[in-house]
Amino acid sequence: MLSRWRKTGLVLAVAALCGVVGTSIASAQPAQSAGVEAVQGHTLNIYGLGGRDDVAQGRLDIANALIRSLGHSVNNPVGGFNDQAFLARLAARDIPDLVHMGRGSIGTYAARGALVPLANCLRSERIDRTQYRKAALSEVTYKGQLYGLPEFTNQITLIVNNNVARDAGVNPADIQTTNLVKLRQANKKMLRTNDGRVTRIGVDPKLPEFFPLWVKRYGANLISQDGLRAQLNTRQAVAALSYAVSLINDHGGWNRFKAYRDTFDYFGRINPMSGNQMGATPFESFWYNVLAEGAPVDITAKFWTNQKGGPITMLSGNAWAIPRGSKNPGLACKYIKALQADSSWLKVAKDRFDLRKRQGRAFTGLYTAKTSADVKIYEDIYQPMGNRDFDNAVSLLVRAPRYAFAIPLSPASTEFRQAWLDAVNRVLEGRQTPRQALNQAQREAQAAINKAK
Amino acid sequence: MSAGAQPNFPTGGAGVASPRVAHGPIGRFLGRGAREQGGPRFSGVKNVFFVLLLAGISVLALYPFIWLLTASLKPQGDVFDNRLIPREWQWNYTGDPTPVPGDEKLFALPDTPVLSWMWNSVWIGLLAAVLVALSSAIVAFAFAYFRFPGRNALFALILATMMLPGAVTMIPVYLIWNEIGKATGELGRLAFLPDIGVNTQYPLWVPNLFGSAFYIFLLRQFFLGIPRDLFEAARIDGDGYFSMFRRIALPLAKPALIVVFIFELQAKWFDLMTPLIYLRDTALYTLPLGLKTILDAQGAGGGGEGRWEIIMAGTVVTVLPMVVLFAIFQRYFIEGIATQGRKG
Amino acid sequence: MASAASTETAGPPRGARRSWSTFRERETWTAYLFILPWVFGFLALTAGPMVASLYFSLTDYGVQQIAGFEKTTFIGTENYRELLNDPKIATSLKNTFVYTLMTVPAKMMVALGLAMILARLAYAAGFFRTVFYLPDITPPVAIGILILALFNGSVGVVNKALGFIGIPGPFWTTDPNWIKPSLAIMSVWTVGGTMVIYLAALKAVPQHLYEAASMDGAGPWRRFFNVTLPMISPALFFTFIVLTIAGLQTFTEVFTAYFGAGSTGAEAPDAALMNVVYLFRQAFEFFNMGFASAMAWLLFAIIMVITAIQFVVSRRFVFYQGEKR
Repeated sequence: MLSRWRKTGLVLAVAALCGVVGTSIASAQPAQSAGVEAVQGHTLNIYGLGGRDDVAQGRLDIANALIRSLGHSVNNPVGGFNDQAFLARLAARDIPDLVHMGRGSIGTYAARGALVPLANCLRSERIDRTQYRKAALSEVTYKGQLYGLPEFTNQITLIVNNNVARDAGVNPADIQTTNLVKLRQANKKMLRTNDGRVTRIGVDPKLPEFFPLWVKRYGANLISQDGLRAQLNTRQAVAALSYAVSLINDHGGWNRFKAYRDTFDYFGRINPMSGNQMGATPFESFWYNVLAEGAPVDITAKFWTNQKGGPITMLSGNAWAIPRGSKNPGLACKYIKALQADSSWLKVAKDRFDLRKRQGRAFTGLYTAKTSADVKIYEDIYQPMGNRDFDNAVSLLVRAPRYAFAIPLSPASTEFRQAWLDAVNRVLEGRQTPRQALNQAQREAQAAINKAK
Repeated sequence: MSAGAQPNFPTGGAGVASPRVAHGPIGRFLGRGAREQGGPRFSGVKNVFFVLLLAGISVLALYPFIWLLTASLKPQGDVFDNRLIPREWQWNYTGDPTPVPGDEKLFALPDTPVLSWMWNSVWIGLLAAVLVALSSAIVAFAFAYFRFPGRNALFALILATMMLPGAVTMIPVYLIWNEIGKATGELGRLAFLPDIGVNTQYPLWVPNLFGSAFYIFLLRQFFLGIPRDLFEAARIDGDGYFSMFRRIALPLAKPALIVVFIFELQAKWFDLMTPLIYLRDTALYTLPLGLKTILDAQGAGGGGEGRWEIIMAGTVVTVLPMVVLFAIFQRYFIEGIATQGRKG
Repeated sequence: MASAASTETAGPPRGARRSWSTFRERETWTAYLFILPWVFGFLALTAGPMVASLYFSLTDYGVQQIAGFEKTTFIGTENYRELLNDPKIATSLKNTFVYTLMTVPAKMMVALGLAMILARLAYAAGFFRTVFYLPDITPPVAIGILILALFNGSVGVVNKALGFIGIPGPFWTTDPNWIKPSLAIMSVWTVGGTMVIYLAALKAVPQHLYEAASMDGAGPWRRFFNVTLPMISPALFFTFIVLTIAGLQTFTEVFTAYFGAGSTGAEAPDAALMNVVYLFRQAFEFFNMGFASAMAWLLFAIIMVITAIQFVVSRRFVFYQGEKR
């Protein structure tokens, strides 16, 4: 029976041999292509771009063509930004020429000297920073210096489910954030519970992650403009947290509320809006695309408003940045410019519009970080879908970025964010009062900022 | 075989003469003809009782798999609807190679060579698993059989390497590979050495040549369970130490070696972090990294369209080969030892 | 056959061993030769990084230092002093201990029970072996997401099942008191690997021992305690040590469910904050690599002490057939 054992060994040895051959073949391929590139000029090494839908790919094609026309080449493997991989590359001094990352990470890396300011880039490529949304730029500005150029804007608006409102006898107009007494009443009327379990959410305040939006509703900011002073335990912040938590507690407490919310399929055909599982919620703008594709909905898109009724929105998204040690910062800058030129945005918007038309689907617009591009897309390409709800939403989204705010970058952005998230969670779990929790968060956040600056 | 070793030799149950030969693969899968183990076989009524009990527990183990499998056969909007039978069936694996953007199937995604990623995973996994089983076995045998100065201290050191969380050694290890890469880059031109180092697949399997603490410990335990008389007898027959290891220790520890093989194959098969950090060229990716790439490109976060049905199909493609492999290999855990490794 | 003649000279005579100095020497050198692969790998790939991380734990190592923008400054034991002042360290260690205490015995018992049944099943054993191993083939990231789905307080399968037998289930994933138990149950769910080790060990138990025990009139329980347990004690000991180390280093499932992809990352409950999860956040989210290294070495010391205790305590219970005494 030893022979059987030997046979197994043989099979595995063959597999191993295949492996060795496989490596040589696989490793031989990139070596060759690298050789070809070397003759042509520089290679622009890009890192961190995962998303490759038509809108991304169309603009990449334009930028790639530009770099090639200059006699250089581009290496841009698919894959999202990852802190560990980026750190490893920094450690090995194998630094990419251009990186794509979340705007929240920009400050953290900029404060630690890993990114270069883009002032030179803007000057040499004549990039007009006034074309960009102010709030989006402030998300990538650290100590007065610009460290990134933002791509899209994901903006938060209030989405009201008219079906649920009608069903509960609530006037959809009462669902807004200026008059909080009316909002609370609407919440109580719309929510449904059965035997202690939530079966419909009235108003989801989106805690903990949208806490800054609630504070802004009360006219305050969580951090000073220079990003060095935490302001987490202000009177307004405490009031905002108390109110937002009360909307959840109306459902019978955080446990019941979250257990139900965790069951939502936000990306599905039957989502909380089409399934009438929720009355209203603030949400990022990409959700309108999902809602337009899913089962029919009856929604009203609204601005999030402050206590005086003025519109506010919060932005988020990704940005391009040039790491310190980039061997081709000039090419990197040209690349960003080509990607984000109004003409590039316009072309991909047109292509997507045509594609959607062929597919018989709606084009819900593109929301870039540039006012100039958005206006052109809206005026030149966008055509009303014929669905009143979505046409309203789109026109709202085009106007919204004007009223956007961003949380200023601090050298300890991640820890700062974690401090207030933890505080909100402690209140939701009923372990602390809003004031206690925010006092503690203020201490933690300020300590982290002081340490990092 | 020396008579002295006979009493302690782990014989197969009295008179059970390897009946598995009579059964086909299905019979083996169902476990018929297995040698008795851990006590006598259950009798009829008891057996029915336990089968029913296990079938009940199986639901817990099977549910996520069936969920995943059916989720991969649903249209985009229905993936998370938690129905085990899809409302509407949709094939998400293969299809027209040039479809409209947004409608591609898993194996026809642009710039996404899923098949070559699979191949990378297969050979790296097999190679790594074989290597680590053999190298760990050699080291483990030394600790189980020999007595030598520093044995306990060295063994403690081996265990100690398991106790430090890998997150803090990740970057130093990466730097070592980076240096190896530079060195082989220089030397390679002279000595025809391949490029080893960052952005090659060597860091994924070369460490397995040197054994791994977990498996060394596991195999040491199994070697210690082999009656010592067997080895003494072999020595009398004139076997050298290596021959003893190869002809007695390895065959007798076969179930444990299979365990090591399966554990490591699986660890490599699902490892995302190492490929993510070491590999840059799409052609070198393994399946989990490929799957992450699809998630980055098609998921909703990065501007993609939230093509979860494609991502689920990719997950099935990742998980299913391991299930099949385990189903094939599981019989080795119960196969009789009596027929194995007996030297004449 | 030579065996009859050589039996007299070959038995392992205790007294004689010392005089065979050349033989002992040869044995020693062979042993070193056998462990050479590991020693080489350790020196080349493991020792350096371990020492480096120990050094980093005494420095301000962070992004600037990793990238070489700034020199790494030696700050003595400051990171370790900070460990004491950070309340999250205590929380995370407590969580980790509780989790490990819940999982290790439960996993060992469930795995042994399943292995014992599977080993003796007359039919369908191969099918069940595969099925019970399935959860181990589920990628840990998927397990993280599954935790949230299965244990959901209002629609989760677990609570539905409990409701069926008349027990109102708790809010597993949101109630701080129930988060760790749900994580532990999920961990027990992936018991297949341990089960497989026991199956392999059970297989090596000589059948004649059972027969001898039966002839002595031993019932199933006595056979279990007098034959099975001692014979598989090396494997039990192995899993005891290894599961403890793994429990104390729990990361992926917990991270996915409550800190990463499975959640929005926002609802990071303190009750789920495991030591290595916090370490990871310190290293790769807050970029305090020096502090993270100090955390790692604190955990290293803790695991070392626990493992040493386990070794000493278990010595009496582990029986090695092949041990040279």
